[in-house]
Amino acid sequence: MTEMMIETRNLTKKYRGTRAVDALNLAIPQGEIYGFLGPNGAGKTTTIRMLLGLIKPDSGLVQIFGQDLKRERIKILRRVGSLVEYPSYYGHLNAVENLETIRRILNVPKNRIDEVLHTVGLTKDAKRSVKGYSLGMKQRLGIASALLGGPELLILDEPTNGLDPSGILEIRELIKKMPQEQGITVLVSSHLLSEIEQMASSVGIVNQGKMIFQDSMPNLQRKAGSEIHIALSDPEAGMITAREQGCFPRLDQGKMVFKGIDNGQIARLVSALVDARHSIYRVEERRKSLEDLFLTMTGSGSADTADADFRSGSGAPRAAGLPREAAQ
Amino acid sequence: MAIWISALRSERIKLGRSQIILLAVIDPILCAVVGLMANVSNEEGSWTGLFMVMTLLHALLFMPMMAGIFSAFVCRYEHAGGGWKQILSLPVSRSALYLSKLLVVAGTLAFNQLLFLIVVLGAGLCKGFDLSLIPWEVFAPKLVGGFVACLPLAALQLFVSTVWSSFAAPLVLNMVFTVPNILVANSVTYGPYYPWAQPMLVMMQAGGEYDFGAFGLPIESLMITVGGSFLVFLAAGLVYFNRKPV
Repeated sequence: MTEMMIETRNLTKKYRGTRAVDALNLAIPQGEIYGFLGPNGAGKTTTIRMLLGLIKPDSGLVQIFGQDLKRERIKILRRVGSLVEYPSYYGHLNAVENLETIRRILNVPKNRIDEVLHTVGLTKDAKRSVKGYSLGMKQRLGIASALLGGPELLILDEPTNGLDPSGILEIRELIKKMPQEQGITVLVSSHLLSEIEQMASSVGIVNQGKMIFQDSMPNLQRKAGSEIHIALSDPEAGMITAREQGCFPRLDQGKMVFKGIDNGQIARLVSALVDARHSIYRVEERRKSLEDLFLTMTGSGSADTADADFRSGSGAPRAAGLPREAAQ
Repeated sequence: MAIWISALRSERIKLGRSQIILLAVIDPILCAVVGLMANVSNEEGSWTGLFMVMTLLHALLFMPMMAGIFSAFVCRYEHAGGGWKQILSLPVSRSALYLSKLLVVAGTLAFNQLLFLIVVLGAGLCKGFDLSLIPWEVFAPKLVGGFVACLPLAALQLFVSTVWSSFAAPLVLNMVFTVPNILVANSVTYGPYYPWAQPMLVMMQAGGEYDFGAFGLPIESLMITVGGSFLVFLAAGLVYFNRKPV
């Protein structure tokens, strides 16, 4: 069994009667990039603040590196780097001075400052006052601060929030390098499924303070599943051809919709349809958006039965989670 | 202990580029103007006379104000840039951090007091007073006592400054309570317990029949009150800061 870097048991935080975090059981194995996913207000930041000891849980237990956070907070924080919500900085100081305020507390060698500035690509702007930085640069400075102490665990709360596409890409590449190059375990939160999908190796989904799914990324992708939509001239007749091929689609707005179908099956099916003189207009893959996934998962109550019902609605693209449609 | 010194050195960086020292200079400069314009006769006891004239503005108004400004200042950058989250996620205890901030405030106040002494001496020299006649036995306890009497107020203001995320709010509070200083100091009952009046009560005791109101209290009992209120405000601030949700 791999060692758990973070483990929480029944972590709960109430704000004015409502449970912002409700009996949350987090388990983050070593060496993973753990994507902490949920809509805004799901309790991600509240959870992260509790993990760092910034707020106290109403009940429940936090263990980091197998130690109790309540008792060993300082010792644990020595090995943790963090960036919570928007980056923190001293605007009147430049990047080096900002890092120096942290370095003096962490008591690490001075050359670490140059190293982390290089890692996040801020060496060129190191002597400018942070006031004049763009949001992306501030965010990178925040990550540099988090890396300064040479942490074993990195906790990043919405590190790509508010960045432009190139900024998002940079941060993502930076995060993806961490486990490989430095053996750092990363907890990264986001409200974007696509974002988490592209960097996380395991994932936890929270909604209204409750963990509704927690597993490896491939398992989530299996659950989220993609559907193949085939639009053709005579869908009714096409259904029969499909059944002859051992596929059982449903009909949705004049399209055949297949779930859990592999490449070989699609190829055989298309060729059979062509042989049967159907005109095939398009074959497309539709991914479930995060919103759809949430609806399915929350609709069925708990994580255990999350895969019980996967009849999605129209499968139309929604705003959340950048669903991709790949024409094949 | 080591981490406490680290925290202190970290604070120093943040203040290094700030204008806080300029603020500490305004008070002595204005007091110097008062001292130079004052009509103090050049005879025995003239140093003490000059000192008392200059102390009025300094202890009545500037010292309480500076205690408030410096306290708000050391919290300012954390409030402004979301720095509390960052600094409290570092491996440093909240108490160590709080005490290092208080020590920075105390240090700046001590520096301010030192500047005040320098301008008193400067003003005296300009007036042609004899340096060898400086009554250190009068100056020293007043300067040190005045500084010590600022500490409860500093602890209180630091407490307020950590509670309120606005930079101005603690300053307004401080101003509002500083203004009635002279009135409160007249009261033997309330004066000694009023943190904003304590520096003045300690520094402006003239001795003998010149003292009125709370000025007539023996210095020992005044210092006990000062020490007691310092401990109360410090404890309240520490308890709050250790529980503060960030």
